[in-house]
Amino acid sequence: MIDAETMSSIDMVRASTRGIVKHGDLSRIRKLRYTREGFDREVWSTICELGWPGLRLPESSGGSGLGLLAYTALTEELGRGLVPEPLIPAMLASALLPATSLESQLKGETLVLPAWQDARNTLAPQQQLDFANGRLNATKVYVPMAAAASAFLVIGQGQHAIVDANSPGVSIEASGTQDGSSFATVRFRDALCKVFEADAGPPLAEAALATAAYLLGVMRAAIEMTVGYLKTRVQFGKTIGQFQVLQHMAVDMQLEAEVTSASIEAAALQWDRDGPTAAAQASISRAKARASSSAMKVTRDAIQLHGGIGFTDEHDIGLYLRKAMVAKESFGGTKLHRANFARLKPVGDQA
Amino acid sequence: MTFAGDFHCEDYNALSDEAFRALVRRFLVESHPPGLRHPPKRLHWDRAEPWYMILARAGWLAPNWPRQYGGMGLNPGKQLIYVEEFEKFGAARTPDHGMALLGPLLINYGSEEQKAYFLPKILSGEHIWCQGYSEPNAGSDLAALRTEAVLEDDTWIVNGQKIWTTLAGDADWTFCLVRTDKSGKKQEGISFLLIPLDTPGITIRPIINLELDDEFSEVFFDNVRVPKANIVGEINQGWTMAKNLLGFERIFLGGPRQAANALGKLRRLGAHYGLLEELAFVDVYAGFLMELEDHQAFFGRVAEKLRRGESLGPEVSFLKLNQTSLYQRITEYGLDIMAEDGALLEPLCGNNNLSMPNQFLNARAATIYGGTTQVQKNILAKAVLDLP
Repeated sequence: MIDAETMSSIDMVRASTRGIVKHGDLSRIRKLRYTREGFDREVWSTICELGWPGLRLPESSGGSGLGLLAYTALTEELGRGLVPEPLIPAMLASALLPATSLESQLKGETLVLPAWQDARNTLAPQQQLDFANGRLNATKVYVPMAAAASAFLVIGQGQHAIVDANSPGVSIEASGTQDGSSFATVRFRDALCKVFEADAGPPLAEAALATAAYLLGVMRAAIEMTVGYLKTRVQFGKTIGQFQVLQHMAVDMQLEAEVTSASIEAAALQWDRDGPTAAAQASISRAKARASSSAMKVTRDAIQLHGGIGFTDEHDIGLYLRKAMVAKESFGGTKLHRANFARLKPVGDQA
Repeated sequence: MTFAGDFHCEDYNALSDEAFRALVRRFLVESHPPGLRHPPKRLHWDRAEPWYMILARAGWLAPNWPRQYGGMGLNPGKQLIYVEEFEKFGAARTPDHGMALLGPLLINYGSEEQKAYFLPKILSGEHIWCQGYSEPNAGSDLAALRTEAVLEDDTWIVNGQKIWTTLAGDADWTFCLVRTDKSGKKQEGISFLLIPLDTPGITIRPIINLELDDEFSEVFFDNVRVPKANIVGEINQGWTMAKNLLGFERIFLGGPRQAANALGKLRRLGAHYGLLEELAFVDVYAGFLMELEDHQAFFGRVAEKLRRGESLGPEVSFLKLNQTSLYQRITEYGLDIMAEDGALLEPLCGNNNLSMPNQFLNARAATIYGGTTQVQKNILAKAVLDLP
């Protein structure tokens, strides 16, 4: 159950996105595709002025002290608008950064981005970091928007390192992604670093749920666009939305969004209430698995319902599918999270 | 039986949800006949009667009726708890059409004489009711019904046929939608008629369903004479009245119970066959459990709206679509892992918990009754997505 105070702060968070999420207008998003950084620095400044990167941090650390539920409400709105600015990675970094590095991150003066993955298809770093003599030797993969980072927060197993992006020994090899952004393999060779300790598990789980909510926003916008198309496109002398087969597909899409929404909300409420328990982690895995598969189904069917125009790059509906292709695997895909859920809730333990 | 009154409370709605939940649990533990828990099939009256009478004496038979008519007067949130706890306990369902459907209709639209005569007889178990809505050619398209009532002097002459009448053989009376006008829109020529089943001209023929059970019947009317006063509300207003009463109760069609029970069976079957360490089984099971938890979250969100006193719109049908699909897929997978054993008529080792064929067959009905999946999607497309 959501109390009135939480409800009103969530309404405020959603309302605060209106300047950035332009309803039905994806021209800004289109222009940023396949550019070097993949997002707009001015918009990022606005995002920092709005205080979003500190949303989950306590007020004593310069944050606004809101819960995971509010965070997911925010990323759902961003997903609706396919907003490309790297809020989820930046928030993962902010959750772990030592106080000395935090202020400039929240103000947007620096952009510390996390580099956590060392292998494909994983939910957490698989290897200890090697930082003998204060110099890091490591390779991190699938680091989003690495070209824009002022520094990397290199996440290990309990011990992490901050490395300036311009330091000698840091090399970035970027590859474009389907949504017009990029990820990179970042290599650290005797790179000077600051080492600190923190538990990266809960912030990684939060990033997974925030990504699930982003995918929910993607679904909602794709459904809206598709239902709008069904109401206007005329074939055989009538709007195609009158055809029952297409109506039923649209209802199935809406059902996916409704269930995903309930799953995310329940997982966020549980996390905010109980903290990062095994059961709460399992619920996040459940919600991310659901969001990833549902977003793919919804955006695939959205293309199908648009027919030929849906297969063009010119039409916006394809932007949602391409975003889903990337975000579905970000912080773990369906299979990985199902396996994680099964590990956290073994069938043999069920009453 | 001394407990009648023990559980009586002047205003159940004034209790906290937790206190009321605890009261319902205690009532069930202390009052429910042990042998009737978790019945695999709907009970006929001869077996259900003791439980019905216990509920009646305790004043717990009609949670949905106002206090002045002998009900518990529960608000929707408390009704939800009542149903949830009954289901969790595995309480036997009684023949409840009089309580669930007819009572609210009479209370809203019946004459004072009808209320005074019929309502106490439902509460006492003197009248067991069955519902006469569906017909062979009026299923999903219920308003196409043709069973006809023609007024001759002070008597309705009824001719036609009803079908899918649940537990008709146990009932004393049936409440029917009948055609009283063929001239205008089909919805506008339907009336609501109360008919005693011992009237000459009525024939009841049981239907054996896919579960080899005789829960349903066909009811034939051949020049059946019914007093004029047995109509409820105005002539030709039957459709509107019945439709208006399809309120928040639709949420119960979308509860997680069937899927949860089936998943429990799947787990026990998995243990029986030694599959709990097998990766393929574990993966599929985890997928179903995640879907079930998703559904519980979805159901909980809609239930929360009810508790806040909000009314439920047509989107409540999404719950039924989601639950019935999951329920069916769990039973299909369970049937598959049973392999040849899934072809057996009787449960393994005589244990009802080690059976999926019956559950699989039962699940076929879930996407048909209460509005087929396809009809629900038609309605949702128009009412929620605003499609033409």
